[in-house]
Amino acid sequence: MEDTPMGQPPMAEARQIRVNFTTSSPDIQLPEGKTQLLVPADIKRYGLSRVLNSESMLDTPAPIPFDFLIDGTFLRTSLEDYLKTNGLSFESTLTLQYVRSLIPPVYEASFEHDDWISDVDVLSAASRAGVWSGDKLAAGQDRLLSASYDGLLRIWNNSGQVLATSPAGGHGASVKAAKFLSSTQVASAGLDRTVRVWKYSEAEDRLSGTLRPTLELYGHSASVDALDVHGPTGRILSASADGSIALWSTSKSSAPAAPAALLPGAGASLSKKRKLASSSSAPQRGPLSHMPIHGSSAATAVLFDPADSTVAYSASHDHTLRTVDLTTSRVASTIATSHPLLSLCALRRGGGPLLAAGTSARHITLIDPRVSAAATSVLTLRGHRNLVSALSASPSDEHALVSASYDGTCRVWDLRSARAGTRAEGGGSVGESVYVIEREAKKSGKSKSRDDVPGKGAKLFGVVWDSTWGVVSAGEDKMVQINRGRDLLAAAA
Amino acid sequence: MASTKSNLKRKASIVEAEPVTEVLSDDEFGDGLLEGVLEDESDSEEEETDGDDDEENENEDDEADIHSDDIPTDGEEVEKAMPNDEDAGPHYRVERDANGGERYVYDEIDPVYDSDDTDAEDAENRIGNIPLSFYDSYPHIGYDINGKKVARPATGEALDALLDSIEIPQGWTGLTDPQTGKPLNLSRDELELLRRVQMNEVPEEGFDPYPDTVEWFTSVEETMPLSAAPEPKRRFLPSKHEAKRIMKLVKAIREGRILPYKPPEEREREREEEEEQVYDLWAEETPRPPNVMHIPAPKLAPPGYDLSYNPPAEYLPTEDEKKKWEELDPEEREKPYLPQKYDSLRRTPAYDQFVKERFERCLDLYLAPRVRKSRLHIDPASLLPKLPRPEELRPFPTVASIEFTGHEGRVRSVSIDPSGQWLASGGEDGTVRVWGLADGRQQWQVKLSSEDAVDAVRWRPGQDALILAAAVSQDLFFVIPPIGSPELEQSSRDILDAGFGYAANGKQQLTTAAGARKDPPAKWGRPGGRLEDEGVLLKATARSPIKVINWHRRGDFLCTVSPTGQKASVLIHTLSKHLSQMPFAKLRGLAQTASFHPLRPLFFVATQRSIRCYDLQKQELVRTLQPGARWISSFDIHPGGDNLVVGSYDRRLLWHDFETGSRPYKTLRFHDEAVKCVGFHRSHPLFADASHDGSIQVFHSKVVNDLMEGPTIVPVKKLTGHKVMNKLGVMDISWHPQHPWIVSGGADGTCRLWT
Repeated sequence: MEDTPMGQPPMAEARQIRVNFTTSSPDIQLPEGKTQLLVPADIKRYGLSRVLNSESMLDTPAPIPFDFLIDGTFLRTSLEDYLKTNGLSFESTLTLQYVRSLIPPVYEASFEHDDWISDVDVLSAASRAGVWSGDKLAAGQDRLLSASYDGLLRIWNNSGQVLATSPAGGHGASVKAAKFLSSTQVASAGLDRTVRVWKYSEAEDRLSGTLRPTLELYGHSASVDALDVHGPTGRILSASADGSIALWSTSKSSAPAAPAALLPGAGASLSKKRKLASSSSAPQRGPLSHMPIHGSSAATAVLFDPADSTVAYSASHDHTLRTVDLTTSRVASTIATSHPLLSLCALRRGGGPLLAAGTSARHITLIDPRVSAAATSVLTLRGHRNLVSALSASPSDEHALVSASYDGTCRVWDLRSARAGTRAEGGGSVGESVYVIEREAKKSGKSKSRDDVPGKGAKLFGVVWDSTWGVVSAGEDKMVQINRGRDLLAAAA
Repeated sequence: MASTKSNLKRKASIVEAEPVTEVLSDDEFGDGLLEGVLEDESDSEEEETDGDDDEENENEDDEADIHSDDIPTDGEEVEKAMPNDEDAGPHYRVERDANGGERYVYDEIDPVYDSDDTDAEDAENRIGNIPLSFYDSYPHIGYDINGKKVARPATGEALDALLDSIEIPQGWTGLTDPQTGKPLNLSRDELELLRRVQMNEVPEEGFDPYPDTVEWFTSVEETMPLSAAPEPKRRFLPSKHEAKRIMKLVKAIREGRILPYKPPEEREREREEEEEQVYDLWAEETPRPPNVMHIPAPKLAPPGYDLSYNPPAEYLPTEDEKKKWEELDPEEREKPYLPQKYDSLRRTPAYDQFVKERFERCLDLYLAPRVRKSRLHIDPASLLPKLPRPEELRPFPTVASIEFTGHEGRVRSVSIDPSGQWLASGGEDGTVRVWGLADGRQQWQVKLSSEDAVDAVRWRPGQDALILAAAVSQDLFFVIPPIGSPELEQSSRDILDAGFGYAANGKQQLTTAAGARKDPPAKWGRPGGRLEDEGVLLKATARSPIKVINWHRRGDFLCTVSPTGQKASVLIHTLSKHLSQMPFAKLRGLAQTASFHPLRPLFFVATQRSIRCYDLQKQELVRTLQPGARWISSFDIHPGGDNLVVGSYDRRLLWHDFETGSRPYKTLRFHDEAVKCVGFHRSHPLFADASHDGSIQVFHSKVVNDLMEGPTIVPVKKLTGHKVMNKLGVMDISWHPQHPWIVSGGADGTCRLWT
């Protein structure tokens, strides 16, 4: 019963709700005895965030935007409305878990290409390649690498200028994956079954640069669809549609010779002329180790363990995720899922990574690859309307990731926001996306009629999330789209 | 009385010569009867009714006779009464007797004994019962009892008749006395008599039918009795006879012949006898739980708040509710009472419905049949066959994931390569295109013809090579798209080129036994410069346009069907020898499609109505299947090899089990338009059909080896999305070799991947 105190008009004073603040981040822990608070009932996220940032509470030097989770869902209304919609009493104590806010990614810019874009990677001080390159990275050298279906790699600066384009006669066919190894080295792989390493150098004014091929790596007999790199050791992992993954070295000297049968022109084909014309003078090398671990099913994604470069994870169309010990080239463990896996990313976590795998069944499944893990499938993220083609973990938040799908949207997920799955969803924990990033080009067009093919003409093939660049996604609409939270720096502080 | 009169008239009409009116009345009578008869009976029974009519007429006549007998008697009486009336003076004469004294001499009393004696009738005319018309020519009308002529009464002139009619004399009837021929006038007494009879009164005037009773004998003791005799003595004496009888009984009792009660032992015995006869049926009955069918009468609900004399305010009806309650029919009311409020219990009146309520309760208990009705509860859902739910049969394709756009004009054929990476499509723009299946990107295309459409594309099975067969009009092209690795490309080239040497060496095989050179059913060769550069390396030209290509599982043989090719409509090509063979010298019907068995050396050819299965080794017809379709469009053989699904242009999908004979095991009719294409998945238990209504239907089919159990076919998904252009929808489908994905090519120029 909603009772008002005797003799007081009910609306004279706003109702107050007792809340209990908790957090899982140790660095923003509230002091003992300050966790309980009475707050006005009509307070929203922003108000609660300000309360937490105030001197009496956390006393942060710069305000940190917070989000609040109640029972696994983000608070998006006022507390009052939340209580009403959930039928809770105003006298109950709410437990609010505060987390650093995921800033809504706002559209920043689009870089236009001539053809479909298959992959993007970024270079910045905070990015992996930036960290690996250490001192060599010039201040403010924020670069974006895009791999296109026209067979070219392009490097952009943050004002949207193309600094370098790979020379013609690089990849003979579409490039399917590209990654910065460091600020001066780029790896790419493509439909021509090769992995290539490029040297990237910039002019003094940092307004132009060159991409020179340094290595051609042969070993796969079908299109190479995914890459991962490890800068410090100069290792490249590749996944191919022939069902194999391969480990490569970027150094000419340590790499073995290329298998002759796979070199262009090995077959006496009539298109030899074309093949020969496209061949370059870069040295040709073979794989350090070629692992046909997925049989005839295409391997679609491969990943170095973030903490241990001798462990790799590979995902495949054959529904499995395999942990590979690279020192012995043996499969350490196999985790079977129920759908073909298309993409993979690792979320850093204490005690080993958590792997997110995008499936052809339009969801993302979170897999604990540890052998000791009680349940391999931790969480299912549902919401995409088409195949999930690319994933990227949040640079700052170990609970967030972004996914790109053929339905033309990127979705930002927070793993803490989870609920129990329904029967139709197969039970387990199910998460829903926090933000949806639409394609700017599609949005500006005619009002979105619900197409029978979701994301027709705007399939996304690549996404990367960097603290400097924000969420960078690219796909069939020939655009690299950059979305960034407005006060991203404040959040990172 | 009226009828009597009319009968009288009839009699008169017989005797009297006044035919006009009599006949008329006669007619009327007859008519009336006949009419009634007609009204009662149908026309068919007219004869019978006529007979009845006659009979009745006769009866009537009899009656009439009787009446006529009576009536004249009355008339006589009247006549006799008349003279009595006339001499109103004293009925005696005064005479002188012998002593000279006055003596009243009375007339002799006529006792009128013959009042009802018909024999004594003294009619004047004694001619008997003959028609009076016999005397028409005489001046008299008969003779009296003395033989004197009875003169014809003078019939008055017309004027007299008129006058007569004007001043109607007393008692005029307008009738003629048949006996006398005079007008029959009735006196006032006679009229009165007739009226009385008519009124159902007693005819005699002054007759009292209910006179007071005269009590001749009475129970009242008279003070002065008729007899003064004293009471006889016997009335005061005990009866000796009775005393005798009593003494007899006393004597019998004394002697013990009559016992006042039975001796104890005898009584005991009798009681025992009785006890033997009467026994307690329910003596040993133990209480049992009531029968399962027993339904106790419902108890009355205890009174609620609304029955209180002072109910809470919310139970009291508002004015509206009261009005509504009163307007309702008593039987429709939800409650038979309205809650009412009284200030105190002592103001509460007696319950006016008490007796009625008790009565109805009793009626309810007594009359309500508490019978357990065994209603037949059938859940309609239970009548449906027990099929698993589609959700349990995952995985199967559900949504369109990728649309492959690029073809100008319809896509006629699609095929996914054995590795599952590439999709080949052939369209009406004459191009064959190869797409990356996972990203929807067109990787390669070749224009095979500028005029003709590519009718069929099929990848060669087996992952050792990447060869695509494409049919354009009469040409069968073998293509190696430059998308594979050099190794793969080289092996593919080797396979294609292997036959050149053989063809050069084996030319002589193409002569018949007679030595005449036979024209080969297809010519093999290089397609020419431009195409060869683009990867089209081999061409076989048949005699008529090829519409269907199907490879043998090993990848060396392929069959093509050109429906217009007559005896060369079905060709089996051997790729390694560049050899084409006509397996059928003569084929009944138009060949539609043909296919190799996935496991055994069998070959299936579908004509418009039937599918024939041939053994290639023994070269004989093994089986003929009659799906019952008008026009088969396509068929596919289950990878297990024992079942076949047939699609037909008459919108049906037919499942054949080879074990169950030539008739289909199941007919599925779910499409609105023709079924164009059917296909089994090679590893998943799925099959699909594509129709010109723009939809693809996916079925789950479980085939078990148990002979007792037929295959289970469950429709799981209808995939819609292809647009229907010119009444053409989906042209071809192809299953992914590993995943439960399907690719469809449509008349709208797109291919779709459904996952």
